[in-house]
Amino acid sequence: MTKRLVQGNEAVLLGAVRAGATYFAGYPISPSSEILMQASAYAAAHPELRFLQAEDEIASANAIIGASLAGAKSFTATSGPGFSLMQEAIGYAHKVGVPCVFVDVQRVGPGTGMPTMPGQGDILQTRYGSSGDYTSIVFYPSTVGECFEYTIHAFNAAEESRSPVILLSDAFLGHLNEVVDLDTIEVPVVPRTLERLASGSTRLFSGVLTYEDGEPATADADEFIRQFEAARLAREEAARRYAFYEYGWNKEADTLVICFGITRRISAPLAPYFALFRPIRIWPVLQDELREVAGRYRQIIVIEGSEGQYASVVERVLYRDVQRVPLLGGRMSLEAVREGLDRIGLLPAELAAQSASPVG
Amino acid sequence: MAVKDKLKEELFPTIWCPGCGIGLIMTQLATVMDEIGLDERNTVIVTGIGCTGRMGAYMRFDSVYTLHGRTLPVAEAIKTVRPELNVIVVSGDGDTASIGGNHLLHSIRRNPNITVLCNNNEIYGLTGGQAGPTTPKGTNTVSSPAGTVASPVNLQGLVNTNPQAYYAKTTVYHQGQMRRAIKEAIDWPGFSFVDITSQCIENNGRRIGFPSANEMLMYFKKEYRQAPSAARHLEHHQLGIVKGSPEAAVPVAPTAGGDGHSAE
Ligand SMILES: Cc1ncc(C[n+]2csc(CCOP(=O)(O)OP(=O)(O)O)c2C)c(N)n1
Ligand code: SF4
Ligand SMILES: [Mg+2]
Repeated sequence: MTKRLVQGNEAVLLGAVRAGATYFAGYPISPSSEILMQASAYAAAHPELRFLQAEDEIASANAIIGASLAGAKSFTATSGPGFSLMQEAIGYAHKVGVPCVFVDVQRVGPGTGMPTMPGQGDILQTRYGSSGDYTSIVFYPSTVGECFEYTIHAFNAAEESRSPVILLSDAFLGHLNEVVDLDTIEVPVVPRTLERLASGSTRLFSGVLTYEDGEPATADADEFIRQFEAARLAREEAARRYAFYEYGWNKEADTLVICFGITRRISAPLAPYFALFRPIRIWPVLQDELREVAGRYRQIIVIEGSEGQYASVVERVLYRDVQRVPLLGGRMSLEAVREGLDRIGLLPAELAAQSASPVG
Repeated sequence: MAVKDKLKEELFPTIWCPGCGIGLIMTQLATVMDEIGLDERNTVIVTGIGCTGRMGAYMRFDSVYTLHGRTLPVAEAIKTVRPELNVIVVSGDGDTASIGGNHLLHSIRRNPNITVLCNNNEIYGLTGGQAGPTTPKGTNTVSSPAGTVASPVNLQGLVNTNPQAYYAKTTVYHQGQMRRAIKEAIDWPGFSFVDITSQCIENNGRRIGFPSANEMLMYFKKEYRQAPSAARHLEHHQLGIVKGSPEAAVPVAPTAGGDGHSAE
């Protein structure tokens, strides 16, 4: 292939195909629908990709679980409201240990919210959306090329952790077109790890807590803790191989900016004035890396498309206050970033002068 | 091979209450599986949440014990990925027709080659006897002390909206007929649904006046009548099979210049 214009959503589909996905199920919802539509077109031309436009997101989520158990690398794509409907199934996949990939192209919620506007309000939902305790692996790219690259990583991490892995995107990134040569992006593909159904075993894939032999263990706290710890360790161990982040910009500055996904792109003109920490693996939170980097800076600002979901996580990890620049209602622009910095008194003088003139 | 090879007898006794109808379904299913050579390499069982959903744990197969109501999307996806497998869903009435009702509606129209055995005890057994989607109108339950007010879901009517689908109505009293229906349903090349009336003595039967499971079985014997063999639609308490034809014409999309009704 050569360089060409690729859309963020398309890059996700192509990444899934490159990772060896052979099953997609989904339900239309902006701003993720291109993934569904392009999956249908791809499947029509390449029957090895099975495609289902399901009756709803609950069906989509459960279908990719069934497909994975049957032996296919499987995925779905949705946005906030649909992602909420998938939460019970995500919990089931964690409990049972089903490798599969959920793509959430974020818009502004809650409820139907602002369907076509970019948001980043699902950060905590990707971690705590289902009931109970579990360990999520979540990636959030910020370029079209990265959409391709981290989709492959998401499939790999799903196999290695035997869990549902989430790839975050947003309305801005999903609809962004960039010139990229996807063939230059090389990520080794992890093969299937789970023995597919009907291979001769007689296993019980149960969302209910059971012992090895299938007997219910629904009143045995010790058994619960044993299985919970085993799952947590397996996922943390797998996640360790995917500790992706970016640390850069002006490392000599005294203030560190943390942003991710589309806010990373919007904030690019801040480069001369601040250091940057961009988590790509959103969960498990990059605790050690964050602590090490943040220790060098006097102040920390989190710029994000929510009221402060990731900022609250950073505060908890670092045991110190961080400044918030929330970009709400889909107002994802340099102007909004400037206003936010100004509000907390941290807008560099040079940027303040620029904002008086029209933005290029 | 023998019937008992299909069951994990080492896990018996089951958790089902003495007199529960679910075991009668499991025995007939295991018998059919033995008869037609279904084993752990060619068959997968998918069950939902409810007392019925426990069945998969007792069968010597790979078995997926899904979330409440989600058997059908899981089963359909398995069949899509592995068309060579027999995929058998076993689930309760609440699981199938209430929380899973939307999936049922759409599975019927997609016509996957899977078989659904619905243990229709007309109640939410596991959760203690609340009214369900097939509870007869007027029934006193722990959630309808003055009697249920809605009429039950018409499963036969629903399944047969697809002219290629297979529907059988039977009861756990009519063991031979149940066995034949299960076998035919598994053989059916499309969506097949066996609606099996059974008893939940513990959380329904006694409350509605049956002293024991045996009285409930005798009630099924007395109440249920065979429908005329060519019936296209079953009346209340009629046993029978309403099957379409795998080749039945279904309306197709209009195309420019075409009449939009041809099945070709
Ligand atoms: C999402 C969700 N809602 C509710 C429940 C609680 N619940 C478990 S089984 C059940 C009803 C079971 O009734 P049915 O499907 O008829 O099965 P039976 O026990 O009668 O065999 C309910 C409401 C649940 N497990 N999950
Ligand atoms: S509660 Fe009812 S359905 Fe459940 S095992 Fe007991 S008798 Fe059977
Ligand atoms: Mg029931």
